[in-house]
Amino acid sequence: MKIAFPSPEFDATVAAVCHGSATDVDMSALNMLLRNNPSARDEYLLRIELHSRLASDPDLFSQAVNAADNRRLPGIGVRDGQKILGLNPTVPTRRSLLAPALAVAACLMLVAGAVWTLWFKPSAVRRGATSTAVAMLTRTVDAHWDQGAKSMRVGGALEPGRLRLESGLAQVVFYSGARMVIEGPTELQLVSPLEAVCPAGRLLLEVPPPARGFRLKTSQLNVVDLGTSFGIDATRGQTALHVFKGKVEFSASTLAKQFLGEGRAAVVQGGAPPRLMAANSDVFTPMFEFQQRSMASEAYRYEQWQFASAQLNRDPSLLVRFDFENPGSKDWTLRNTTERNRSVQEATVVGCVRAEGRWREKQAIEFQSVNDRVRLAVPGAFEALTLSAWVCVKGLDRQFNSLFMSDGFDPGTLHWLIRGDGVLGLTVFGPGNGKFQILASPPAMTLDKLGMWQHLTVVIDGKARQVVHYVNGLPVSHHPLKFGPPFRIGSAELGNWNARSGPDPAPTLIRNLSGSLDEFELFSRALNDAEVRELYAKGKPDV
Amino acid sequence: MSTDSARRFGDSNATQQRFLSLFLRSEREIFRYVAALVPNVTDAEDIVQQTALTLWEKFDAYDLAQPFTPWACRFALNKARQWIERRQRWQTLLDHGLAEELAQRRQELQPEFELRLKHLEGCLGKLPDGQRSLVEGYYFERVDIETLAKRSGRSAAASYKMLQRIRHALQLCVEGQAKPEVA
Repeated sequence: MKIAFPSPEFDATVAAVCHGSATDVDMSALNMLLRNNPSARDEYLLRIELHSRLASDPDLFSQAVNAADNRRLPGIGVRDGQKILGLNPTVPTRRSLLAPALAVAACLMLVAGAVWTLWFKPSAVRRGATSTAVAMLTRTVDAHWDQGAKSMRVGGALEPGRLRLESGLAQVVFYSGARMVIEGPTELQLVSPLEAVCPAGRLLLEVPPPARGFRLKTSQLNVVDLGTSFGIDATRGQTALHVFKGKVEFSASTLAKQFLGEGRAAVVQGGAPPRLMAANSDVFTPMFEFQQRSMASEAYRYEQWQFASAQLNRDPSLLVRFDFENPGSKDWTLRNTTERNRSVQEATVVGCVRAEGRWREKQAIEFQSVNDRVRLAVPGAFEALTLSAWVCVKGLDRQFNSLFMSDGFDPGTLHWLIRGDGVLGLTVFGPGNGKFQILASPPAMTLDKLGMWQHLTVVIDGKARQVVHYVNGLPVSHHPLKFGPPFRIGSAELGNWNARSGPDPAPTLIRNLSGSLDEFELFSRALNDAEVRELYAKGKPDV
Repeated sequence: MSTDSARRFGDSNATQQRFLSLFLRSEREIFRYVAALVPNVTDAEDIVQQTALTLWEKFDAYDLAQPFTPWACRFALNKARQWIERRQRWQTLLDHGLAEELAQRRQELQPEFELRLKHLEGCLGKLPDGQRSLVEGYYFERVDIETLAKRSGRSAAASYKMLQRIRHALQLCVEGQAKPEVA
């Protein structure tokens, strides 16, 4: 069955999917259509979005709730102000999905039930969305707030008003996206998502593009951010402004508007003209460190990697990519996540165990025994190839430890491996039988690197007749290549090698890896230094 | 709990409160994220429920400096994948990378959806009474289709068809409203 777009069949199938009544045949035809027709895909997403909003947004029906006992009330003309859903305890509200789930969690954790029932009133929290908050307190370290202040809770919303941090560090993220770290003692007045006043204290502000134009006032200065990172060290009588990135515009009552660029600082005292000097980050060191710690958090790195992965999957030269995120539980297959090449659908995992990847949430597979391997077949002949992997080597047990190796010794194929002495090796087989070239780096997988995630890449450039080995984004060796293209992969294995030899292979022919893999890429072109560096940067486990 | 995380979270009640307020604020968005993959409402709710459990278990690892919704959606995606894996029909729908593509594309289309669907409430208000009560019954009261069918004297199949038509009418209405950029 094939579905045309637009067509009544399309309409009916999408509706059936919403209602949960679509058949296998419907699903398969829809899959085919959505993958091949971007307009159909977008239309599908819009329809689903409409459907899911109807299902998830009780506010849409607030008129109905208000008029629950009086359906004769005309539907039109009831305005927003009348949405009183959360204020009226007798009004029925849809259950939150959270309630039953958390009930289970509560039992699991032996948490007193009373606490939970308190929170089983989602409407109260939902109404909170209408608050006038302008920012959120996201992180603190040893923070002591002014006694008179309302309770300052991490994760809590901050409404316009004054706050005073007596000591410690706190991060405030404005709803505009601007991130501010303050160090006590600091007084801060929140005005809007794009404006704050700091009569006295020390702060570091980082402003991403959407929050450009953020205004910060001190007793002496008005600063307008133009996409930057800057620090303020203010007392009642003096303000020092340090620009660490980008530039800002500042003015004072007696001064005309001025710009201050990266690496510069201005100190303003009374009505005197500003003293200009080089920016000094020393006083802001604890704040920088605090900022960096939050950027370095695992969840953040993993999320960044996922975004980068989605982009990478669209590279037209990407032939194979395994992220090991979801090894099929039933049949142990690995899906090729590339979007532009379908010549390799998947790989088969033989043996192996699941393991933790670069981040706690990231999945990996570990090769332990001589049987463990991932098999795949890559058809085609190529002028250039790039192989790249994130690998955590437990030990170099064999003389040759396979990373990715074509079966046997066929002409034009490749063996990528780590030698027992830590040398990265690539063997390229020439056009005739028995001809090959070994391209070996200096020892790169040294003892100190075992047990840690490493990014390894090898680039085979047929045009430039060159092979380059990389470790963690940097080239470690360049080698002229004797043989020209075409290069092939054919049937191949990750983490092992199929020698295509007899039943009792010689020890040199046992080449299983001892370690884990959590990402692998094969490109049909030669990546340059910058691209390899970027590949590494986007995937490195920490900052 | 380590001293570090204890300091970060305060006592466990405070942690629960924090989690609940974050989750409840994101719940609708998580549901829609899941529904883009598995649009059937009860199934999507199932997945969100399982996600909520996982989120609570993993809340320790959540970095409060990061936005909650994207963090939660990562788990929702994993839960959805696991759920889909066990259901052939949904697997067929989302095979060959379509799940990832839909999730990604939905993200890109988000601003456009916001623009169009902000008129949804107004458009719902314009529906004739009979249609409106069907939509309310199905989406808001969560009455099953047989009961709704009985209520209206239609067959179940006809009620489904009617829901499809109503959604179509709503779509035309919101698009009509979005175009001139009046609001």
